[in-house]
Amino acid sequence: MLKLIRLEMKKSKIRRYIKSAAFCNLGILFFMIVFVFIDKMEGASIFADYDEAFLAVDVLVRVTFTIFAAVLMSGLIINEYKNNTISILFTYPISRKKLIISKLLIVVIFTFVFIIISNIFVNSALLTLNIINNFIPGNLSMTIIKENSIKIVMNALSSSCISLIPLYFGMRKKSASTTIVSSILIALIINGNNYGFSLNSIVAIPITLAAIGVSIAYLSIKDIESKDIIS
Amino acid sequence: MTHILKTYNLTKAFNGKEVILNINMSVKKGEIYGFLGPNGAGKTTVMRMITNLLKPTSGEIEILGEKLTDRSYEVLKRMGTIIEYPVFYDKLTARENLELHCEYMGYYDKKAIDNALKLVDLKGIDNKPVKEFSLGMKQRLGIARAITTKPEFLMLDEPINGLDPIGIKEFRSLFKMLSKEYGMTVLISTHILGEIEQIADTIGVINNGRLLDEVPMDTIRGKNTDYIEVVTMNCKKAVYVLEDHLNISNFRVIENNIIRIYEDNISQSHISKTLILNDVLIESISRKSSSLEDYFMNLLNGGVIDA
Repeated sequence: MLKLIRLEMKKSKIRRYIKSAAFCNLGILFFMIVFVFIDKMEGASIFADYDEAFLAVDVLVRVTFTIFAAVLMSGLIINEYKNNTISILFTYPISRKKLIISKLLIVVIFTFVFIIISNIFVNSALLTLNIINNFIPGNLSMTIIKENSIKIVMNALSSSCISLIPLYFGMRKKSASTTIVSSILIALIINGNNYGFSLNSIVAIPITLAAIGVSIAYLSIKDIESKDIIS
Repeated sequence: MTHILKTYNLTKAFNGKEVILNINMSVKKGEIYGFLGPNGAGKTTVMRMITNLLKPTSGEIEILGEKLTDRSYEVLKRMGTIIEYPVFYDKLTARENLELHCEYMGYYDKKAIDNALKLVDLKGIDNKPVKEFSLGMKQRLGIARAITTKPEFLMLDEPINGLDPIGIKEFRSLFKMLSKEYGMTVLISTHILGEIEQIADTIGVINNGRLLDEVPMDTIRGKNTDYIEVVTMNCKKAVYVLEDHLNISNFRVIENNIIRIYEDNISQSHISKTLILNDVLIESISRKSSSLEDYFMNLLNGGVIDA
């Protein structure tokens, strides 16, 4: 399995994706800084406290990487079908299930890791800036860091499973753009913020969606050994 | 094991419509099998079933001594294939594609890739992604990929498409060499008989999803396809003379004034002499031969039943 994952990464030139993930991080940070300073110029403070600052960063990061996961999934799975290279892949002496699972694992693991790393990066940068240019009211205690870290990890877990949902739409039409558009819709619906309220804040919703994501992945490989591969 | 591939009443239906019906083909070990049929006859569908990409609706495939099932992975290791248009991970270079192929196949001979590239004569491609290749180059690379792992059974779908005449010649000798020196069994599909009639040991003819004939080339070559054609206005009398005076029964009357005589131990002059002596006026008489192409055209045309 590890070998298959390594081969998939080599095949899809995973370095390109890591590079663009790094650019996304810079983008998110830039976005946050612009917000902070616009509000500061108007004399207001964008965040009420540290919790809100952490949440804002987490939401931006999760929206970005749910969409990013769809891009990754298009490259790894949808395009193999679209370009018919799947006909090559499935003539190798390896179970189809294992081949697809290794692809899905890459999507889930990378999405999770990207979300965590991005949170760490953007938050550290923001907190460093905050030391110089105090824009987050209140005090940063260990408890706040601890509580938010747990939240971030849990959200990252659910988001990386939720990011499998677009696979269903993408596979129906074997289309990368369908995959990506559906991921944008899902990310926005879940994280759309209405006066501090979003669907993601109701714990049952991200958990259910994560379960749906995992089931979609499961269904996509359940009968794959006996399916016709039509070019 | 004398047969590398055998199919038993292989049938495939899409949406209830049978595109392949009761195909029984057998490919012998070490031979070059020409799989011949017009476009859309079902060649690719059969080949996709042999590689397990499509699942038969009914019937069975036995390959390299094993019955093919959903979980026949190991047998795929011993096969090299091009199915339809050769596809690659086209952002990668030729060498990267072949390296990936070897890794997935579990084949670790470092020289194999160089050897294969040399055999198909692909040069100066080291830093070029495959998407910049011409069709002919892709075809060469596809064959290189199929033979890198030295498979026992090589299955090539229209491998000569997109090659120039020199390339076609090179490949004919390459296939022959692979069959002779590496002992590979080769199945080549094509819609042009001329492409394989020189190298094939057996020809299977498919049309409308049915296998019309499966014959060793030697049998076809040995078939007496020469005939003497007589054109005469008095056909009835000519037939009488042929049957009664010359004891010939192996002939056909075409269009009321042409007779084709397939007997081979009788001379043209003897026929004309006998006919004239019996008052049959001959407009022309000549020796003709029907080509293999004709043989298969006839077979294909005869096979169009419900087109």
